Amino acid sequence: MTPLIVLSAVAKDYATGPEVVRALIDVDLEVGEGELVAIVGASGSGKSTLMNILGCLDRPTRGRYELAGVDVTRRSADARAVVRNRLIGFVFQGFNLLPRTSALANVELPLVYRGVGRRERRRRAERALAEVGLEARAGHTPAQLSGGQQQRVAIARALVTEPPLLLADEPTGNLDTRTSHEVLALLQRLVARVGITIVLVTHEADIAACASRIVTMRDGRVESDHPNLPVSAEALLGGRPEASA
Amino acid sequence: MRALLASLRLAFASLLARKARAALTALGILIGIAAVVVVTALGTGARARIGGQIESMGSNLLFVFSMPVMKSGAKGRAGAQMGLTDADADAIRREAAAVTAVTVYSEVSSQIVSEFGNAKIGVMGVDHDYFPVRGYEVANGRAWTLGEEQVKSKVCLIGRTAAGKLFGNVDPVGRYLRIGRHPYLVIGTLVPKGESPFEDQDDRIIMPIGSWRARVSPTLGNRVMLIMASARSTAYVGPAARQIDAILRQRHGIIEGEESDFKIRTQQEFQKTQEAIFGVLTLLLVSVAGIALFVGAVGVMNIMLVSVTERTREIGIRMAIGARRGDIQLQFLAEAVALTLGGGVAGLALAAGLIFALGRALDWELALSATAVWIALGTSVVIGVASGFLPARRAAALDPIEALRHE
Repeated sequence: MTPLIVLSAVAKDYATGPEVVRALIDVDLEVGEGELVAIVGASGSGKSTLMNILGCLDRPTRGRYELAGVDVTRRSADARAVVRNRLIGFVFQGFNLLPRTSALANVELPLVYRGVGRRERRRRAERALAEVGLEARAGHTPAQLSGGQQQRVAIARALVTEPPLLLADEPTGNLDTRTSHEVLALLQRLVARVGITIVLVTHEADIAACASRIVTMRDGRVESDHPNLPVSAEALLGGRPEASA
Repeated sequence: MRALLASLRLAFASLLARKARAALTALGILIGIAAVVVVTALGTGARARIGGQIESMGSNLLFVFSMPVMKSGAKGRAGAQMGLTDADADAIRREAAAVTAVTVYSEVSSQIVSEFGNAKIGVMGVDHDYFPVRGYEVANGRAWTLGEEQVKSKVCLIGRTAAGKLFGNVDPVGRYLRIGRHPYLVIGTLVPKGESPFEDQDDRIIMPIGSWRARVSPTLGNRVMLIMASARSTAYVGPAARQIDAILRQRHGIIEGEESDFKIRTQQEFQKTQEAIFGVLTLLLVSVAGIALFVGAVGVMNIMLVSVTERTREIGIRMAIGARRGDIQLQFLAEAVALTLGGGVAGLALAAGLIFALGRALDWELALSATAVWIALGTSVVIGVASGFLPARRAAALDPIEALRHE
């Protein structure tokens, strides 16, 4: 079975004035289904660039990117939008929910762009909100929700299209430790229950420790890539101490 | 179509999230649309009114004016008689087959005295045919008889406005009024005809032309100021004009190509002139109102540009979760259209109210036509698309990564 993500010799150059910044240099990476991969590294190590390419927000300068068996390296902007909509869910550090818009409407949004009918959209969005335990807050706007709740709404939005891949860019960066662990526990449950693949960028060691694999970036290259016995975030919260991934 | 409606619905929701701004932006369109619609309705109403007034002058009328001719720099004509005469009118009556009735008319403004007061009023000397040609009817009393016309009796009929000036609320029939040294018996009143574009058709005293020539204005001799003729029907107005022209040219000895000493005008020509004037006036006012609309459109574009900048992050989010460029473009276009369409509908409502109120206040027949409604709505949509196009394109061209980073 082919891995979900196959990056072969992917490079990304940025031209800033006369200089060329090499943000990624010959990155090879394969991620299988059901993995929870943490990408760590200092700032400027290329993790954000890598995430942008994995998320089909950006195109590599060189190399090849296959997602779910499809070569998405040289797709047009609109084609990449479709790939993002069908195959990828995004969770951001800043939550990135639409302001003045209810949680339910936020979760429905990806389905709008998929052309799903109104009633079906509503049903699936309600189910996704229930999955993150926020069915009671469906009518609240982001301003009426706590940081942890906002991030759970964002996760519901990422899950509502049932994508094979969830990309999380510093998902706990704006959260306190306890809330961070709650979010991580949710992600771990998803991997276990739905078999979704999660790639998350973090610079917090305790968050990375919850992953099943840790990829360390440095100066645009993969410095190390090794499996990890995941710590259960549930356990960190004081629940039963058992590995959940 | 379904997608379009869906985006319009989303657009309205997005506008509702910023009510005050949306309302203020739509206000510009509201005022513009209302102004254009009201001005157009006023123009149409005024035209109909003037048309009605011209029709009230009579039916299929032709007017023959006496024209001074320039010759060697001096006004006047050597040899042939000056101006129009009774004999000209008789000739037209006899010879012009397309004409059913001919009347002569002379007027002078005179100070008139009654037992109640005095006023300056136009006094017209006319013949019997004046009544059918100009469409005057006797309200009270009677018209003069042919006998009275022949013996130049001192009798007259009076219009409502003139009667009001001289007699107030008293019935003038059977009373006397004095013009110069001579008293005249008022034998009847005229049915009011209202305003024509040129004059108040009820502010007049009319009497037999013979009486008029004998005492009111004895210097005019057998000449008349104006000959009026009624054509057989609308289709005969042109032939009537040609026949009258030929008859008068022959009688006045005017050779082919020479400038004639009279001028023929038809009622239709007056109508056309008036319509042209009102057309230009309406166009002018609509242009001014159009400028208001244009300013409104610029306002919409401005707000949409601000909105795109403000919502850069939102655009980034939408792109990240799968919005294509077309989706983003449609969203902002739909918002602009929602703004202008909302403004347009409100503007139509305001216009309908204004048209109703103005119609009442001016006592005009004003109406909001279905055509105006459709054109206003269509214009609103077109303005929305036009003013939303650039902002929408700018939004769609954003790079998702940059947009997501935008604070």
